Amino acid sequence: MSDRRDDEALLGALGRAVSRHDPVPESVVAAGRGAFGMVSLDAELATLVYDSSLGEEDTRGLVRGQGGGRELTFEAPSLTVEVEVLTAERRLLGQLVPPGPGVVEIRSPGGSVTVEADHLGRFSAADVPTGPVSLRCRGEERPPADTEWVIL
Amino acid sequence: MTDLDVTGAVTAAAAGDADAWNALVDRYSGLVWAVARGEGLSRADAADVSQTTWLRLAEHVGRIRAPERVGSWLATTARHECWRLAKTASLVSSVEPERLGGGEAPGADAQVLEAEELEALWQALGALPPPCRVLLRVLVADPPPSYAEVSEMLGMPIGSIGPRRARCLERLRELVAPFASSDGQPTPSGSRP
Repeated sequence: MSDRRDDEALLGALGRAVSRHDPVPESVVAAGRGAFGMVSLDAELATLVYDSSLGEEDTRGLVRGQGGGRELTFEAPSLTVEVEVLTAERRLLGQLVPPGPGVVEIRSPGGSVTVEADHLGRFSAADVPTGPVSLRCRGEERPPADTEWVIL
Repeated sequence: MTDLDVTGAVTAAAAGDADAWNALVDRYSGLVWAVARGEGLSRADAADVSQTTWLRLAEHVGRIRAPERVGSWLATTARHECWRLAKTASLVSSVEPERLGGGEAPGADAQVLEAEELEALWQALGALPPPCRVLLRVLVADPPPSYAEVSEMLGMPIGSIGPRRARCLERLRELVAPFASSDGQPTPSGSRP
């Protein structure tokens, strides 16, 4: 067995190797700082409760899309948001529950796109950005809700 | 090593204090990055995971049950996002991303031999199996987490960290030899015969 002093020296050298070859990019630190301004404390948080990409069984008996995309469900106290992401096409189809008209802002650190949900609560968007995305959902008869950030 | 009052910073950030938030980012960016890269993500994916982790904290900062353990919370969140990304990777176009900049800029004072040794260590680290790679990356994060934090974020008893560290460093020694320059061993293997 190597003794402990050797281990400390090796760990020290490893730390220098990592900071030389793989330092935290400045842009990553800046993005972390910028995250603070992207979250609204006024909105309800719709937490991610289902993600088909994790291979979990969806036991809630909801009717699911047939498109073969990645399916995500977010739940807030007064709103459920179901989303299907067609990853290759960068398209997104969504459903607000309870159904009803609303405005959905698809937010990413690089900018946002706003689409309208129809009277049945359905919405769709093209050119969905890659990286972290959150949907801000507004309707007339409920408080705004932001979905948790997920990487799409 | 900054002497940050972590609990105070979390509480202040939850109340809207941007300076406190930035202090948390400065304190834990290295740890989050170490987790993501240790899990084997490319620099571009690690950047996405880092950003998502900070966005998640911004969402939850007012609801964190144990503010003093926010470092573990961040590292655990980052790990979960890494695993999620790995599972969706087959759906995502796997373009090998360009470098995000930084890295490999030799310091003016770096000796050539030292540079070669660090290069060999860096290559060997990448060849380690993921559990060892994650543990060692986390342990050398700048600033490094406490053993209590490591225990919580990696789900291992505190008493097992030291022995596992020793075993992982031993694996690293074995791996570093083929990458080392012919001039000598970059890291002596102690009293082993």
